[in-house]
Amino acid sequence: MASASAFTFKRPSVIPGFGITLGFALFYLSLIVLIPLSSTFLKSTELGWDGFWQTVTHPRVVASYRVSFGASLAAAAVNLFAGLLVAWVLVRYRFPGKRLIDALVDLPFALPTAVAGISLTALYAGNGWIGQYLEPLGLKVAFTPVGITVALIFIGLPFVVRSVQPVLQELEPELEEAAASLGASRFTTFRRVILPSLMPALLTGFALAFARGLGEYGSVIFIAGNMPMISEITPLLIITKLEQYDYAGATAIAVAMLLISFVLLLLINLLQWWSRKRHTE
Amino acid sequence: MSIEIRNVNKYFGTYHALRDVNLEFASGELTALLGPSGCGKTSLLRIIAGLEQPDSGQVLLHGEDSTDRHVRERRVGFVFQHYALFRHMTVAENVAFGLTVKPRSQRPSKQAIRKKVMELLDLVQLGFVADRYPNQLSGGQRQRIALARALAVEPKVLLLDEPFGALDASVRKELRRWLRRLHDEIHVTSVFVTHDQEEAMEVADRVVVMNKGVVEQVGTPDEIYDNPATPFVSRFLGSVNLFHGRIHNGWAHIGDLRQEAPAHANGSSGPAVAFLRPHEIDLSDQPEGSIGAATITSIRIVGPLLRLELEREGGEGLVEVELPRERYDARTLPIGRKVYIRPRQMRVFVEKNAS
Repeated sequence: MASASAFTFKRPSVIPGFGITLGFALFYLSLIVLIPLSSTFLKSTELGWDGFWQTVTHPRVVASYRVSFGASLAAAAVNLFAGLLVAWVLVRYRFPGKRLIDALVDLPFALPTAVAGISLTALYAGNGWIGQYLEPLGLKVAFTPVGITVALIFIGLPFVVRSVQPVLQELEPELEEAAASLGASRFTTFRRVILPSLMPALLTGFALAFARGLGEYGSVIFIAGNMPMISEITPLLIITKLEQYDYAGATAIAVAMLLISFVLLLLINLLQWWSRKRHTE
Repeated sequence: MSIEIRNVNKYFGTYHALRDVNLEFASGELTALLGPSGCGKTSLLRIIAGLEQPDSGQVLLHGEDSTDRHVRERRVGFVFQHYALFRHMTVAENVAFGLTVKPRSQRPSKQAIRKKVMELLDLVQLGFVADRYPNQLSGGQRQRIALARALAVEPKVLLLDEPFGALDASVRKELRRWLRRLHDEIHVTSVFVTHDQEEAMEVADRVVVMNKGVVEQVGTPDEIYDNPATPFVSRFLGSVNLFHGRIHNGWAHIGDLRQEAPAHANGSSGPAVAFLRPHEIDLSDQPEGSIGAATITSIRIVGPLLRLELEREGGEGLVEVELPRERYDARTLPIGRKVYIRPRQMRVFVEKNAS
């Protein structure tokens, strides 16, 4: 009787309502996320295990995974650096037009993705403004996986900038001054003092940009060229199957993609948890 | 001289933050830069460290012109008000930082670094927190770690920017004494910035009082307290009462009192102001040797002191007085009683300086 459980979920807090808020959160998540997703899973079972496996391992589908995940990872990696740089400039320096640039960063969020796709295609096509100079150098961007990556870089930039910016804002310049007074060079200061502090935010931005890249459809299909086995993204295959009224096949590919994304995002989250733990514990 | 400041000027935009500052800091001394906020003391400290560049003038460290040297090369230890510890490193890693960033050829071995870190942690009496992270420590502990980290690179000069400013009163008091003892042990030339006159008095060998970008006075704590050079210093080092009067032919006339003012004997005459600290006043029944009469308007007992407020006759303002309770009885000083203000010690300044 006396042994109350040593482990409790609930801790006393000034804002009560653990029960109702948790209940609502679960209800909401179910309604918006879990039920649609589980219906996807359910639908894909219509194929049976063999049919499912054949659909998701079809060479054309496998090639599309490579394109989708490869381009998303590459774009997120590029954005990791570019986003950090943009955030750094926006936080650390004062210059005319700073607010304008700050607002520009969000543009990829707001722009209809098809618009982005069309303008990027126009720019990078063989006769486009940029494409005409790249083509003679042997660099084909539009209608190749490189073009897909370019589109995803465009789409993903705000995620990294907006996750890093507030953390960088709070990073006291005193830390850098302390490192300098202890004899650290600029590069060492960046590597050993600034970067570790930004790591969790950078990983968040990376994960968001990556996830957004995986799901991106509108901007990619214009610039991709959609050549089977070369520049076809997984979401396009899903749409194609839907247009052929192959709902079960479409959901099967969706499920495969979901599972792979989930595992990858979980890994990033674990990495993040680990780097944050090193910070605070 | 360990640190020399020559004709240093600093502007922030149009604001003249430091005006032609000349200072010398002797080897092994612990000096306080004291002044109200915005007086330029922190700017001066940062200029010594090389975190800020003067607009004109020179900084010499151990006789070498270091004005154009980067912080990295100056070998100064800097301790920040908010500690600036690296949160993602353990305490030991923080203290070791200055040693581990040395170029490989000068870097001590891992064991040597570990040994040095433990020595420093023992010096600041925090050996037991070596493997913790900074946010698991109290403010006072963090500041001691910051100090150990600064000392690890064996700086030629130690600079502390309001080191106790972010701590609560009791910890502050304890750390002050501790810093004093530590300095007696290691004797590194140190400069610390503070706006707390008590802190400066208690800790420093020498005090530099600054106001509005100008050095008002340099001296030992008791010199500064007993012989303030300017009205500002006099006022900044605790509450004072002002009495207006005149100086004429080397004599100061303050109220009913006539006193020799040898410092102003060279014939200058004009309005003058006298400064009297609350504890430098005696109360008397007789008018002899007094500035004038006043009426007691309030009396409070504060520990060993009686704290009185008097209203001067003729509407010349309020006077604060502190009397030791051993010599005065509160019962003999009822509110409304008329008394005479008799100064035990008085400093007179010509009015034009009395800003």
